[in-house]
Amino acid sequence: MNKLYYVCKYTPIELLEALGADCANLNEMPEGFECADQIAHPNICGFGKAVIEQVMSGQVKELVLVNCCDTIRSVYDILAESGKLDFLYMLDMLRSTGECSRERTVAQLHGLAKAYSEYRGTTFDREAFFKAFRPNPKCKGPYISILGARMGAELYDMVQKCMPYPVENDSCVNNRSVGEMLPPEDADFDGLMEWYAAELLRQLPCMRMMDNTGRRQLYNNPNLKGIIYHTVKFCDFYSFEYAQVKRDATVPLLKIESDYTLQSSGQLLTRLQAFAESIAVDWQEGTEKKMGKGYFAGIDSGSTSTDVVILDKDKNIVTGIILPTGAGAAAGAERALEEALQDAGLERGDIDAMVTTGYGRTAISEGDRSITEITCHAKGAHFLDPSVRTVIDIGGQDSKVIRLDENGAVVNFVMNDKCAAGTGRFLEMMARTMEMSLDEMSKAGLKYKEDITISSMCTVFAESEVVSLIAQNKATDDIVHGLNKAVASKTAALAKRVGGEERYMMTGGVSKNQSLVKTLEEKLGTTLVVNDKAQLCGALGAALFAMDMVERA
Amino acid sequence: MSIVDVFGEYVDKLCDKDPQKARVLLRTGWQYQDLKFKFMPDRRLLPADRYLARLMMDTMLKPLKAPEQTAIVSIFTPAELLQEVGLSPYNAEGFSCYLSASKVERSCLQQAENTGIAETLCSYHKTFLGAAQRGLLPKPRCIVYTSLMCDANLLTFRALSQLYDVPLFAIDVPLQQNEENVQYVAKQLRDLAAFLEKHTGKKVDEDSLRARLETSKRTLEKFRQFQMARADRYIPEDLVSPLYCGMTNNLLLGTPQEEKYVDMLLHDVQSAPAKKGKHIYWMHTIPFWSEAVQKELLFNENSQIVGCELSQVNEPDFDPSSPYEALAHRMVYHALNGSVTRRIDAGIRHAKEAGADGVVWFDHWGCKHTMGGAQLAKHKFEEAGLPLLILDGDGCDRSHGGEGQTSTRLGAFLEMLNGDKL
Ligand code: SF4
Ligand code: SF4
Ligand code: SF4
Repeated sequence: MNKLYYVCKYTPIELLEALGADCANLNEMPEGFECADQIAHPNICGFGKAVIEQVMSGQVKELVLVNCCDTIRSVYDILAESGKLDFLYMLDMLRSTGECSRERTVAQLHGLAKAYSEYRGTTFDREAFFKAFRPNPKCKGPYISILGARMGAELYDMVQKCMPYPVENDSCVNNRSVGEMLPPEDADFDGLMEWYAAELLRQLPCMRMMDNTGRRQLYNNPNLKGIIYHTVKFCDFYSFEYAQVKRDATVPLLKIESDYTLQSSGQLLTRLQAFAESIAVDWQEGTEKKMGKGYFAGIDSGSTSTDVVILDKDKNIVTGIILPTGAGAAAGAERALEEALQDAGLERGDIDAMVTTGYGRTAISEGDRSITEITCHAKGAHFLDPSVRTVIDIGGQDSKVIRLDENGAVVNFVMNDKCAAGTGRFLEMMARTMEMSLDEMSKAGLKYKEDITISSMCTVFAESEVVSLIAQNKATDDIVHGLNKAVASKTAALAKRVGGEERYMMTGGVSKNQSLVKTLEEKLGTTLVVNDKAQLCGALGAALFAMDMVERA
Repeated sequence: MSIVDVFGEYVDKLCDKDPQKARVLLRTGWQYQDLKFKFMPDRRLLPADRYLARLMMDTMLKPLKAPEQTAIVSIFTPAELLQEVGLSPYNAEGFSCYLSASKVERSCLQQAENTGIAETLCSYHKTFLGAAQRGLLPKPRCIVYTSLMCDANLLTFRALSQLYDVPLFAIDVPLQQNEENVQYVAKQLRDLAAFLEKHTGKKVDEDSLRARLETSKRTLEKFRQFQMARADRYIPEDLVSPLYCGMTNNLLLGTPQEEKYVDMLLHDVQSAPAKKGKHIYWMHTIPFWSEAVQKELLFNENSQIVGCELSQVNEPDFDPSSPYEALAHRMVYHALNGSVTRRIDAGIRHAKEAGADGVVWFDHWGCKHTMGGAQLAKHKFEEAGLPLLILDGDGCDRSHGGEGQTSTRLGAFLEMLNGDKL
């Protein structure tokens, strides 16, 4: 028998089961959106596209939607036209929960019941209806809550694996509370539907409901240890709530966004692990180490360079090496470590403990443990300058801003890695367009005369803007300054999002770009600490963590 | 740098220090523009469209001049009720367009994004919200919106009412077209009347409301006559007039001013010369700022816009004698409510009436309903014999432009329509 798929917690699942349906939540993340991008549009919400993909691939034959949002409405229109489904229905769920809307909901329930029983040739089975009400078990002790827009099954699995506490999925369809109460025994079908409509509407409101004040209880639970706020690209509803949660919630908060494909999960993993590191107390207990010769190493395996720092027991930097990563993270790390040992005149056996960090950290088999670059960066920056509270790291592939406390622990962070704008790659590409080296570019913007604004944020569009500025014979210095401004405002916006505070430290390759640093300082209205060891920050933090492992033993 | 750039930058800088003063500056700039419309109107436009430019400017100046007599609304909120209690409605799309024309949209967008609002939210709404957060948008008497057509309404207006701490009224419009749903909406409209009475101290007089709806009905009927009359005429057109008409035909529907505008159109069309070039019917908002679009369609004898979907969303088939049901009927049977095929069918009908040779479906960034329906629309319009171009862009935020792409696509489309002349 075909499964009947649903997507929304307002779906009358119990009614459908009483009519013989086998209901399942449609929530998989596909590899990509080849088909949906074509028959819909790339810029609608990824979940909507995921539904289209699954229907078009023939996996889904029965589907009940709810007119949750503009995307789902469009998905319905497209699927209705496609003729791919045996049964497709959209409930017109109202946005207010008052008395009148209950009446309208009852009418909707009758409509659906009629349509489905005609399609299946079944009638309402009263006993099955009663049996279908099953309560949803909830976490009792400390837990972490997923809030926001729905989260795909695969991503949810990953979150569960990373977190130090049980995870409760309180997003979208997963937050269904129908089932806690049983229907009135003595009611007839009409009476049951009256009760049922009220029960459906009584649930905690979604953001698409007109009155959603009740949602606050989602983040006011005393057992709540942290919130992972998930948004879906091109869904607008939940960014509004996020703005509020960010203001009001008192527990640690991580915001992640997915586009509902499997692709970006690797990058989300780093964020999730860093978040787990920042909320758990016991994560630092790794393998305990004994003090030997008193040397400690940190390896930061980034996408462009691999850095190694070796510290002695008095926290002096014995050596710091920066090498291009090359083909593989593991081989690159091996090479960099060897070189560092040689430089310091040490042997592998002299190193008491070693910690790896960076994108390639898990690919490296050496090392006693691996810690995300976020946590390591914070630790390194704190060591270099304890007055620093905000680290801005603009690297080749990504940029991140980390807020730390007076002990160097991470308070909050954001990363931008999906789009080139605001990263070193953006500047590299623009330098290429302007036929200059990065070094030249780093000086060019300092002497600008005309204040040009590059309005496009997207790299592709920005490039054509630059080309047309060149065609207009604008001075190179002025164009470069315009580009710096674009990167600086993107970065300043990230800093605002984490509540950046003085003092700021800038790390990463781009910190060597003088004119950008100057523009960013203007944007932030403060000076940036740029340390000559800034590039080694991640590896340094890792080495310090390695030292901690031994000292505590 | 142009005068507008300098002006925008000035308003921006001032706003960081003193929003109150920035508002005054903005008002002065717009008043100057209004005077220009009065004494130096664009002679290329029909007299009716010159009048329209001032109507629109007035609507947007009101909140800067006397904010306590205005209400923020979503564009499809039935304006007649607000007019009855003496409130001037103004909407996000209109105000944001003006901000964008004054080049202050960027900083407003940035402001909204800094507070965590999705980058993918419709830029009209994001600009509007950012302007409010920066203090550039004065506090209205109240906010009234409807769920019709677009999710952004729900989000922005709820946030604004919290920000300003002003009363909010929401009209929930179900998707399906039937009498029960009309009753459901009518009930809410009666509640709205009570809400407005409470917050203004004025009474909604049913007779006067009836008369107003008669005006609305006549206006819509006459506008349709004009659209049909223009089918074989040449009417010089810029990019903003069809858009303004899309605004005023909602916000000012039921006012003598809007009826006067439509009367002027009917008058002007009689002396218009015979059709020249290709007629383009425009679905959804128009990126008036785009040079690429201006190049092809601004006062161009080879091709002109002959109508914008937004000015033809309401049918005049309602009965003013029961005014609440009439308004409710209009909303439930609104061209943009329900399945996208209703919207497409209305578009086909209106495009044909205006003698369109081709249609542009404008995928405004962030407008999910428009984007989601784009491919279906292409299919159905072309089935009906109307070539359709899907154009991606942004009506307000220049950074989503992609002028190169716009120019190539629109240019090629018009070349294709003009195949006979190449
Ligand atoms: S957000 Fe709420 S209304 Fe929308 S699909 Fe999810 S559960 Fe349903
Ligand atoms: S994630 Fe957002 S846009 Fe997508 S289906 Fe859910 S509510 Fe709609
Ligand atoms: S342009 Fe689209 S998304 Fe924006 S307000 Fe209008 S309907 Fe809504």
